Amino acid sequence: MAERTHERVSGFDPDMAGRVAECDGGHAVMGTHFAGREEFTGTLTGEYVDHGDPPWRWYLLGDLTRRPDEYTHDTVWCESGNLFVVDTRDRTD
Amino acid sequence: MSGDPLHTKLCDMLGIEFPVIAFTHCKDVAVAVINGGGFAVLGEAMHTPEDIEADVRWIRDRVEGRPFGIDLVLPSSVPPAGSVEELMSNIPDTHRAFAQEIKERYDVPDPKGQVDLHQWGGLNQELARAQLDVLLEERVPVIASGLGSPAFMLDAAHERGIKVFGLVGKARQAKRQLEAGVDAIIAQGYDAAGHTGNVGTLSIVAEVAAMAGDTPIIAAGGITTGRHLAASLCLGASGVWTGTLWLACRESDVDMIIKERILESTVDDTTFSTSISGMTMRVLRCPWTEEWAKPEAPAPLQAPYQMLLSSDYIQGANDNRRADLMTEAAGQGVSFVTSMKPAKQILFDMVEEALDTFDGICGDG
Repeated sequence: MAERTHERVSGFDPDMAGRVAECDGGHAVMGTHFAGREEFTGTLTGEYVDHGDPPWRWYLLGDLTRRPDEYTHDTVWCESGNLFVVDTRDRTD
Repeated sequence: MSGDPLHTKLCDMLGIEFPVIAFTHCKDVAVAVINGGGFAVLGEAMHTPEDIEADVRWIRDRVEGRPFGIDLVLPSSVPPAGSVEELMSNIPDTHRAFAQEIKERYDVPDPKGQVDLHQWGGLNQELARAQLDVLLEERVPVIASGLGSPAFMLDAAHERGIKVFGLVGKARQAKRQLEAGVDAIIAQGYDAAGHTGNVGTLSIVAEVAAMAGDTPIIAAGGITTGRHLAASLCLGASGVWTGTLWLACRESDVDMIIKERILESTVDDTTFSTSISGMTMRVLRCPWTEEWAKPEAPAPLQAPYQMLLSSDYIQGANDNRRADLMTEAAGQGVSFVTSMKPAKQILFDMVEEALDTFDGICGDG
Protein backbone atom coordinates (compact mmCIF):
# COMPACT_ATOMS: atom_id res chain seq x y z
CA MET A 1 0.00 0.00 0.00
CA ALA A 2 1.30 3.43 -0.87
CA GLU A 3 2.22 5.62 2.05
CA ARG A 4 -0.43 8.22 2.72
CA THR A 5 0.88 11.71 3.11
CA HIS A 6 -0.83 15.03 2.84
CA GLU A 7 0.20 18.60 2.35
CA ARG A 8 0.52 20.82 5.39
CA VAL A 9 0.30 24.55 4.68
CA SER A 10 0.91 27.16 7.36
CA GLY A 11 -0.32 30.74 7.16
CA PHE A 12 -1.50 33.83 8.98
CA ASP A 13 -5.01 35.26 8.88
CA PRO A 14 -4.99 38.90 10.05
CA ASP A 15 -8.79 38.92 10.30
CA MET A 16 -8.65 36.24 12.96
CA ALA A 17 -5.69 37.58 14.89
CA GLY A 18 -6.71 39.05 18.22
CA ARG A 19 -10.22 37.63 18.18
CA VAL A 20 -11.49 36.12 21.43
CA ALA A 21 -12.76 32.62 20.78
CA GLU A 22 -14.03 29.48 22.47
CA CYS A 23 -13.09 26.01 21.35
CA ASP A 24 -15.34 23.00 21.94
CA GLY A 25 -12.31 20.79 21.78
CA GLY A 26 -11.23 17.27 22.41
CA HIS A 27 -9.62 14.28 20.77
CA ALA A 28 -9.43 10.53 20.86
CA VAL A 29 -8.12 9.12 24.10
CA MET A 30 -5.06 7.03 23.62
CA GLY A 31 -5.54 3.38 24.38
CA THR A 32 -9.33 3.58 24.40
CA HIS A 33 -12.05 3.66 21.79
CA PHE A 34 -13.36 6.95 23.07
CA ALA A 35 -13.24 10.65 22.51
CA GLY A 36 -12.60 13.14 25.25
CA ARG A 37 -13.97 16.64 25.34
CA GLU A 38 -12.15 19.71 26.61
CA GLU A 39 -13.03 23.38 26.38
CA PHE A 40 -10.85 26.45 25.94
CA THR A 41 -11.27 30.20 25.74
CA GLY A 42 -8.48 32.44 24.54
CA THR A 43 -7.27 34.83 21.89
CA LEU A 44 -6.47 33.70 18.37
CA THR A 45 -2.93 34.41 17.25
CA GLY A 46 -3.94 34.41 13.60
CA GLU A 47 -1.67 31.46 12.81
CA TYR A 48 -3.30 28.60 10.98
CA VAL A 49 -2.43 25.28 9.40
CA ASP A 50 -4.31 23.55 6.60
CA HIS A 51 -3.99 19.79 6.47
CA GLY A 52 -4.59 18.04 3.14
CA ASP A 53 -7.11 18.55 0.37
CA PRO A 54 -9.83 19.58 1.00
CA PRO A 55 -8.03 21.76 3.50
CA TRP A 56 -8.70 20.95 7.14
CA ARG A 57 -8.02 24.24 8.93
CA TRP A 58 -6.68 24.65 12.44
CA TYR A 59 -6.12 27.93 14.29
CA LEU A 60 -3.77 28.56 17.16
CA LEU A 61 -5.46 29.84 20.31
CA GLY A 62 -3.26 31.60 22.87
CA ASP A 63 -3.62 33.70 26.01
CA LEU A 64 -5.86 31.00 27.40
CA THR A 65 -8.31 32.31 30.00
CA ARG A 66 -10.14 29.00 30.26
CA ARG A 67 -8.57 25.63 29.88
CA PRO A 68 -8.86 22.24 31.56
CA ASP A 69 -7.19 21.97 34.94
CA GLU A 70 -3.61 20.88 34.60
CA TYR A 71 -3.45 21.73 30.90
CA THR A 72 0.17 22.71 30.87
CA HIS A 73 0.54 24.37 27.49
CA ASP A 74 0.13 28.07 26.76
CA THR A 75 -1.56 27.48 23.42
CA VAL A 76 -3.84 24.96 21.75
CA TRP A 77 -4.57 24.18 18.10
CA CYS A 78 -8.32 24.33 17.43
CA GLU A 79 -10.22 22.87 14.50
CA SER A 80 -12.03 25.68 12.71
CA GLY A 81 -15.42 23.95 12.79
CA ASN A 82 -15.34 23.73 16.57
CA LEU A 83 -14.06 27.24 17.11
CA PHE A 84 -16.53 29.98 18.04
CA VAL A 85 -15.49 33.63 17.93
CA VAL A 86 -17.19 35.29 20.88
CA ASP A 87 -15.92 38.86 20.89
CA THR A 88 -18.03 41.74 19.65
CA ARG A 89 -15.60 43.33 17.22
CA ASP A 90 -17.93 43.05 14.21
CA ARG A 91 -21.18 43.82 15.95
CA THR A 92 -22.91 47.05 15.00
CA ASP A 93 -25.59 47.06 17.69
CA MET B 1 -52.38 3.94 15.41
CA SER B 2 -52.04 4.42 11.69
CA GLY B 3 -48.76 4.18 9.84
CA ASP B 4 -45.50 2.78 11.08
CA PRO B 5 -44.08 5.07 13.77
CA LEU B 6 -40.66 3.50 13.35
CA HIS B 7 -40.40 4.31 9.66
CA THR B 8 -38.56 7.62 9.76
CA LYS B 9 -36.71 9.86 7.35
CA LEU B 10 -33.51 8.24 8.56
CA CYS B 11 -34.87 4.90 7.28
CA ASP B 12 -35.56 6.50 3.91
CA MET B 13 -32.15 8.14 3.76
CA LEU B 14 -30.27 4.95 4.52
CA GLY B 15 -32.66 2.40 3.04
CA ILE B 16 -32.96 0.57 6.36
CA GLU B 17 -35.94 -1.08 8.00
CA PHE B 18 -35.47 0.07 11.60
CA PRO B 19 -34.14 3.44 12.84
CA VAL B 20 -31.61 1.84 15.14
CA ILE B 21 -27.88 2.47 14.77
CA ALA B 22 -25.41 0.23 16.53
CA PHE B 23 -22.16 1.95 17.34
CA THR B 24 -19.69 -0.85 17.87
CA HIS B 25 -16.03 -1.72 17.63
CA CYS B 26 -16.82 -5.29 16.62
CA LYS B 27 -17.27 -6.08 12.95
CA ASP B 28 -19.42 -9.15 13.65
CA VAL B 29 -21.89 -7.07 15.63
CA ALA B 30 -22.02 -4.49 12.86
CA VAL B 31 -22.76 -7.09 10.21
CA ALA B 32 -25.44 -8.80 12.33
CA VAL B 33 -27.29 -5.53 12.96
CA ILE B 34 -27.05 -4.41 9.34
CA ASN B 35 -28.33 -7.73 8.04
CA GLY B 36 -31.11 -7.63 10.64
CA GLY B 37 -32.53 -4.43 9.20
CA GLY B 38 -30.81 -1.85 11.36
CA PHE B 39 -27.71 0.21 10.67
CA ALA B 40 -24.25 -0.04 12.17
CA VAL B 41 -21.29 2.26 12.50
CA LEU B 42 -17.93 0.69 13.20
CA GLY B 43 -15.68 2.73 15.48
CA GLU B 44 -12.20 2.85 13.98
CA ALA B 45 -10.64 5.78 15.84
CA MET B 46 -7.65 3.83 17.08
CA HIS B 47 -6.98 1.91 13.89
CA THR B 48 -4.31 2.46 11.31
CA PRO B 49 -5.35 3.52 7.82
CA GLU B 50 -4.38 0.07 6.57
CA ASP B 51 -6.56 -1.69 9.15
CA ILE B 52 -9.47 0.60 8.34
CA GLU B 53 -9.20 -0.27 4.68
CA ALA B 54 -9.23 -3.99 5.50
CA ASP B 55 -12.21 -3.63 7.85
CA VAL B 56 -14.24 -1.69 5.31
CA ARG B 57 -13.71 -4.43 2.74
CA TRP B 58 -14.50 -7.15 5.29
CA ILE B 59 -17.85 -5.60 6.09
CA ARG B 60 -18.64 -4.82 2.47
CA ASP B 61 -18.17 -8.50 1.61
CA ARG B 62 -20.80 -9.54 4.16
CA VAL B 63 -23.72 -7.10 3.92
CA GLU B 64 -24.92 -7.70 0.36
CA GLY B 65 -24.82 -4.08 -0.69
CA ARG B 66 -26.49 -2.72 2.43
CA PRO B 67 -25.07 0.55 3.74
CA PHE B 68 -22.82 0.85 6.77
CA GLY B 69 -20.81 3.55 8.48
CA ILE B 70 -17.35 4.14 9.88
CA ASP B 71 -16.77 6.43 12.85
CA LEU B 72 -13.59 8.39 13.35
CA VAL B 73 -12.81 10.62 16.28
CA LEU B 74 -11.72 13.69 14.40
CA PRO B 75 -9.85 15.81 16.91
CA SER B 76 -11.05 19.33 17.55
CA SER B 77 -8.22 20.55 19.74
CA VAL B 78 -4.66 19.34 20.08
CA PRO B 79 -1.82 20.59 22.23
CA PRO B 80 1.43 21.70 20.64
CA ALA B 81 3.34 18.66 19.41
CA GLY B 82 5.41 16.70 21.89
CA SER B 83 6.84 13.20 21.93
CA VAL B 84 5.48 10.54 24.27
CA GLU B 85 8.79 10.64 26.10
CA GLU B 86 8.52 14.40 26.60
CA LEU B 87 4.97 14.02 27.84
CA MET B 88 5.92 11.24 30.24
CA SER B 89 8.61 13.44 31.74
CA ASN B 90 5.94 15.98 32.73
CA ILE B 91 4.03 13.62 35.02
CA PRO B 92 4.56 14.73 38.64
CA ASP B 93 6.24 12.35 41.06
CA THR B 94 3.24 12.55 43.39
CA HIS B 95 1.01 11.09 40.72
CA ARG B 96 3.51 8.40 39.78
CA ALA B 97 3.75 7.42 43.42
CA PHE B 98 -0.04 7.27 43.83
CA ALA B 99 -0.36 5.06 40.75
CA GLN B 100 2.34 2.80 42.13
CA GLU B 101 0.50 2.59 45.48
CA ILE B 102 -2.63 1.39 43.68
CA LYS B 103 -0.59 -1.12 41.75
CA GLU B 104 0.87 -2.57 44.95
CA ARG B 105 -2.35 -2.43 47.00
CA TYR B 106 -4.36 -4.35 44.41
CA ASP B 107 -1.52 -6.50 43.13
CA VAL B 108 -2.02 -5.20 39.61
CA PRO B 109 0.02 -7.35 37.24
CA ASP B 110 2.36 -5.93 34.64
CA PRO B 111 1.09 -5.78 31.06
CA LYS B 112 2.08 -8.84 29.06
CA GLY B 113 3.33 -6.70 26.23
CA GLN B 114 4.67 -3.21 26.00
CA VAL B 115 1.95 -0.59 26.25
CA ASP B 116 1.86 1.10 22.88
CA LEU B 117 1.94 4.74 23.82
CA HIS B 118 2.81 5.80 20.32
CA GLN B 119 -0.56 4.87 18.82
CA TRP B 120 -2.22 8.20 19.25
CA GLY B 121 -5.32 7.60 17.16
CA GLY B 122 -7.14 10.81 16.40
CA LEU B 123 -5.08 12.82 18.85
CA ASN B 124 -3.07 14.34 16.06
CA GLN B 125 -4.20 15.78 12.77
CA GLU B 126 -1.75 13.79 10.66
CA LEU B 127 -3.10 10.36 11.52
CA ALA B 128 -6.73 11.47 11.62
CA ARG B 129 -6.35 12.93 8.16
CA ALA B 130 -4.80 9.71 6.86
CA GLN B 131 -7.68 7.71 8.38
CA LEU B 132 -10.19 9.99 6.73
CA ASP B 133 -8.53 9.72 3.34
CA VAL B 134 -9.08 5.94 3.42
CA LEU B 135 -12.79 6.43 3.98
CA LEU B 136 -12.99 8.85 1.07
CA GLU B 137 -11.02 6.51 -1.18
CA GLU B 138 -13.15 3.54 -0.21
CA ARG B 139 -16.37 5.54 -0.62
CA VAL B 140 -17.87 4.13 2.56
CA PRO B 141 -21.61 4.83 2.61
CA VAL B 142 -21.52 6.88 5.84
CA ILE B 143 -18.71 8.67 7.66
CA ALA B 144 -19.52 9.61 11.24
CA SER B 145 -17.38 12.08 13.11
CA GLY B 146 -17.45 11.24 16.79
CA LEU B 147 -16.14 14.59 17.98
CA GLY B 148 -14.74 17.24 15.66
CA SER B 149 -16.79 19.02 13.03
CA PRO B 150 -16.80 17.18 9.69
CA ALA B 151 -17.77 20.35 7.80
CA PHE B 152 -14.47 20.66 5.95
CA MET B 153 -14.91 17.35 4.16
CA LEU B 154 -18.58 17.61 3.18
CA ASP B 155 -18.03 18.50 -0.46
CA ALA B 156 -15.41 15.80 -0.94
CA ALA B 157 -17.67 13.22 0.68
CA HIS B 158 -20.79 14.20 -1.18
CA GLU B 159 -18.95 14.15 -4.51
CA ARG B 160 -18.22 10.49 -3.78
CA GLY B 161 -21.77 9.66 -2.71
CA ILE B 162 -20.82 9.49 0.97
CA LYS B 163 -23.16 10.74 3.66
CA VAL B 164 -21.63 12.50 6.67
CA PHE B 165 -22.95 12.40 10.22
CA GLY B 166 -21.65 14.66 12.97
CA LEU B 167 -21.91 13.93 16.69
CA VAL B 168 -22.54 16.91 18.95
CA GLY B 169 -22.90 17.56 22.65
CA LYS B 170 -24.02 21.19 22.44
CA ALA B 171 -26.64 22.99 20.41
CA ARG B 172 -24.17 25.50 18.98
CA GLN B 173 -22.12 22.67 17.52
CA ALA B 174 -25.26 21.30 15.89
CA LYS B 175 -26.16 24.71 14.48
CA ARG B 176 -22.71 25.06 12.93
CA GLN B 177 -22.86 21.59 11.40
CA LEU B 178 -26.40 22.01 10.12
CA GLU B 179 -25.40 25.24 8.42
CA ALA B 180 -22.49 23.41 6.82
CA GLY B 181 -24.85 20.77 5.43
CA VAL B 182 -24.16 17.52 7.27
CA ASP B 183 -26.57 14.74 6.40
CA ALA B 184 -27.53 13.86 9.96
CA ILE B 185 -26.72 15.01 13.48
CA ILE B 186 -26.12 12.63 16.36
CA ALA B 187 -27.18 14.52 19.50
CA GLN B 188 -25.41 12.85 22.40
CA GLY B 189 -26.41 13.43 26.00
CA TYR B 190 -24.70 13.10 29.34
CA ASP B 191 -26.13 9.61 29.89
CA ALA B 192 -23.77 8.15 27.30
CA ALA B 193 -20.81 5.87 27.80
CA GLY B 194 -17.35 7.25 27.53
CA HIS B 195 -16.80 10.96 27.15
CA THR B 196 -19.88 13.08 26.91
CA GLY B 197 -20.93 16.67 27.20
CA ASN B 198 -22.81 17.87 30.25
CA VAL B 199 -26.26 18.25 28.68
CA GLY B 200 -28.75 15.45 29.32
CA THR B 201 -30.08 13.35 26.46
CA LEU B 202 -33.67 14.62 26.82
CA SER B 203 -32.53 18.22 26.54
CA ILE B 204 -29.93 17.97 23.79
CA VAL B 205 -32.12 15.84 21.51
CA ALA B 206 -35.14 18.12 21.81
CA GLU B 207 -33.05 21.27 21.35
CA VAL B 208 -31.21 20.01 18.30
CA ALA B 209 -34.35 18.51 16.75
CA ALA B 210 -36.05 21.89 17.03
CA MET B 211 -33.40 23.52 14.86
CA ALA B 212 -32.78 20.70 12.39
CA GLY B 213 -35.52 21.20 9.80
CA ASP B 214 -35.46 18.22 7.44
CA THR B 215 -32.08 16.94 8.59
CA PRO B 216 -32.45 13.72 10.59
CA ILE B 217 -31.46 13.83 14.23
CA ILE B 218 -30.19 10.70 15.93
CA ALA B 219 -30.52 10.46 19.70
CA ALA B 220 -27.57 9.14 21.70
CA GLY B 221 -26.87 8.59 25.36
CA GLY B 222 -28.35 5.95 27.64
CA ILE B 223 -30.53 4.32 24.98
CA THR B 224 -30.91 0.60 25.52
CA THR B 225 -34.64 -0.21 25.29
CA GLY B 226 -37.57 0.12 22.95
CA ARG B 227 -39.05 2.66 25.34
CA HIS B 228 -35.94 4.78 24.86
CA LEU B 229 -36.38 4.43 21.11
CA ALA B 230 -40.03 5.49 21.27
CA ALA B 231 -39.20 8.40 23.54
CA SER B 232 -36.41 9.56 21.23
CA LEU B 233 -38.75 9.62 18.25
CA CYS B 234 -41.25 11.60 20.31
CA LEU B 235 -38.51 14.13 21.08
CA GLY B 236 -38.06 14.69 17.37
CA ALA B 237 -35.27 12.26 16.61
CA SER B 238 -35.39 10.07 13.53
CA GLY B 239 -33.38 7.27 15.05
CA VAL B 240 -31.20 6.20 17.93
CA TRP B 241 -27.46 5.65 18.35
CA THR B 242 -26.72 2.78 20.72
CA GLY B 243 -23.41 1.52 22.08
CA THR B 244 -23.59 -0.12 25.51
CA LEU B 245 -26.53 -2.20 24.26
CA TRP B 246 -24.24 -4.32 22.07
CA LEU B 247 -21.29 -4.86 24.40
CA ALA B 248 -22.65 -8.11 25.83
CA CYS B 249 -24.35 -9.53 22.75
CA ARG B 250 -23.26 -12.95 21.56
CA GLU B 251 -21.34 -11.70 18.53
CA SER B 252 -19.42 -9.11 20.56
CA ASP B 253 -15.70 -9.69 20.93
CA VAL B 254 -15.64 -7.94 24.31
CA ASP B 255 -13.98 -10.08 26.97
CA MET B 256 -16.43 -12.44 28.69
CA ILE B 257 -15.46 -10.94 32.05
CA ILE B 258 -16.64 -7.54 30.92
CA LYS B 259 -19.76 -9.00 29.35
CA GLU B 260 -20.70 -10.57 32.69
CA ARG B 261 -20.08 -7.28 34.48
CA ILE B 262 -22.23 -5.42 31.99
CA LEU B 263 -25.08 -7.86 32.57
CA GLU B 264 -24.80 -7.46 36.35
CA SER B 265 -24.37 -3.69 36.38
CA THR B 266 -26.85 -1.00 37.22
CA VAL B 267 -26.47 2.72 36.72
CA ASP B 268 -24.85 2.93 40.17
CA ASP B 269 -22.03 0.75 38.93
CA THR B 270 -20.99 3.43 36.47
CA THR B 271 -18.98 6.47 37.40
CA PHE B 272 -18.21 9.73 35.65
CA SER B 273 -14.49 9.88 36.24
CA THR B 274 -11.46 11.76 35.01
CA SER B 275 -9.10 9.17 36.41
CA ILE B 276 -8.76 7.10 33.25
CA SER B 277 -7.97 9.74 30.69
CA GLY B 278 -7.98 13.10 32.42
CA MET B 279 -11.27 13.91 30.74
CA THR B 280 -14.64 13.04 32.21
CA MET B 281 -15.64 9.61 31.03
CA ARG B 282 -18.45 7.27 32.09
CA VAL B 283 -17.07 3.84 32.89
CA LEU B 284 -17.75 0.86 35.12
CA ARG B 285 -16.29 1.40 38.57
CA CYS B 286 -12.98 -0.34 39.27
CA PRO B 287 -10.24 0.04 41.91
CA TRP B 288 -8.47 2.65 39.78
CA THR B 289 -11.52 4.94 39.54
CA GLU B 290 -12.41 4.43 43.21
CA GLU B 291 -8.93 5.21 44.52
CA TRP B 292 -8.63 8.39 42.47
CA ALA B 293 -12.03 9.51 43.79
CA LYS B 294 -10.85 9.46 47.40
CA PRO B 295 -10.20 12.81 49.14
CA GLU B 296 -6.55 12.01 49.73
CA ALA B 297 -5.90 11.23 46.06
CA PRO B 298 -4.12 13.81 43.94
CA ALA B 299 -6.28 15.53 41.34
CA PRO B 300 -6.19 13.55 38.10
CA LEU B 301 -3.97 15.08 35.46
CA GLN B 302 -5.15 16.59 32.22
CA ALA B 303 -5.16 14.49 29.05
CA PRO B 304 -3.02 12.96 27.79
CA TYR B 305 -0.97 12.73 31.00
CA GLN B 306 -3.56 10.85 33.04
CA MET B 307 -3.95 8.30 30.24
CA LEU B 308 -0.20 7.83 30.19
CA LEU B 309 -0.42 7.20 33.91
CA SER B 310 -3.40 4.82 33.80
CA SER B 311 -2.32 2.86 30.74
CA ASP B 312 -0.14 0.46 32.74
CA TYR B 313 -3.06 -0.41 35.07
CA ILE B 314 -5.59 -0.76 32.24
CA GLN B 315 -3.30 -2.86 30.08
CA GLY B 316 -2.15 -4.99 33.01
CA ALA B 317 -5.73 -5.71 34.06
CA ASN B 318 -6.86 -6.56 30.54
CA ASP B 319 -3.83 -8.63 29.53
CA ASN B 320 -4.13 -10.75 32.66
CA ARG B 321 -7.96 -10.85 32.66
CA ARG B 322 -8.26 -9.67 36.26
CA ALA B 323 -12.03 -9.41 36.76
CA ASP B 324 -11.55 -7.40 39.95
CA LEU B 325 -9.55 -4.76 38.14
CA MET B 326 -11.00 -4.47 34.65
CA THR B 327 -13.27 -1.69 33.47
CA GLU B 328 -15.12 -0.65 30.34
CA ALA B 329 -17.03 2.41 29.23
CA ALA B 330 -20.74 2.00 29.84
CA GLY B 331 -23.72 4.33 29.63
CA GLN B 332 -26.49 4.88 32.13
CA GLY B 333 -28.74 2.55 30.19
CA VAL B 334 -26.59 -0.39 31.27
CA SER B 335 -29.25 -1.43 33.81
CA PHE B 336 -31.40 -2.72 30.96
CA VAL B 337 -28.71 -4.91 29.42
CA THR B 338 -29.47 -8.11 31.27
CA SER B 339 -29.00 -11.06 28.95
CA MET B 340 -26.55 -12.21 26.32
CA LYS B 341 -28.61 -12.36 23.17
CA PRO B 342 -27.75 -12.41 19.47
CA ALA B 343 -27.53 -8.91 18.03
CA LYS B 344 -30.44 -9.47 15.70
CA GLN B 345 -32.62 -10.51 18.64
CA ILE B 346 -31.63 -7.39 20.56
CA LEU B 347 -32.64 -5.31 17.57
CA PHE B 348 -35.98 -7.06 17.15
CA ASP B 349 -36.76 -6.86 20.86
CA MET B 350 -36.08 -3.13 20.85
CA VAL B 351 -38.32 -2.60 17.84
CA GLU B 352 -41.13 -4.69 19.29
CA GLU B 353 -41.00 -2.86 22.61
CA ALA B 354 -41.04 0.50 20.86
CA LEU B 355 -44.10 -0.49 18.86
CA ASP B 356 -45.81 -1.71 22.03
CA THR B 357 -44.97 1.59 23.66
CA PHE B 358 -46.57 3.57 20.86
CA ASP B 359 -49.59 1.29 20.99
CA GLY B 360 -49.83 1.86 24.71
CA ILE B 361 -49.81 5.63 24.21
CA CYS B 362 -51.98 5.87 21.13
CA GLY B 363 -54.08 2.72 21.30
CA ASP B 364 -54.19 -0.05 18.73
CA GLY B 365 -56.87 1.59 16.60
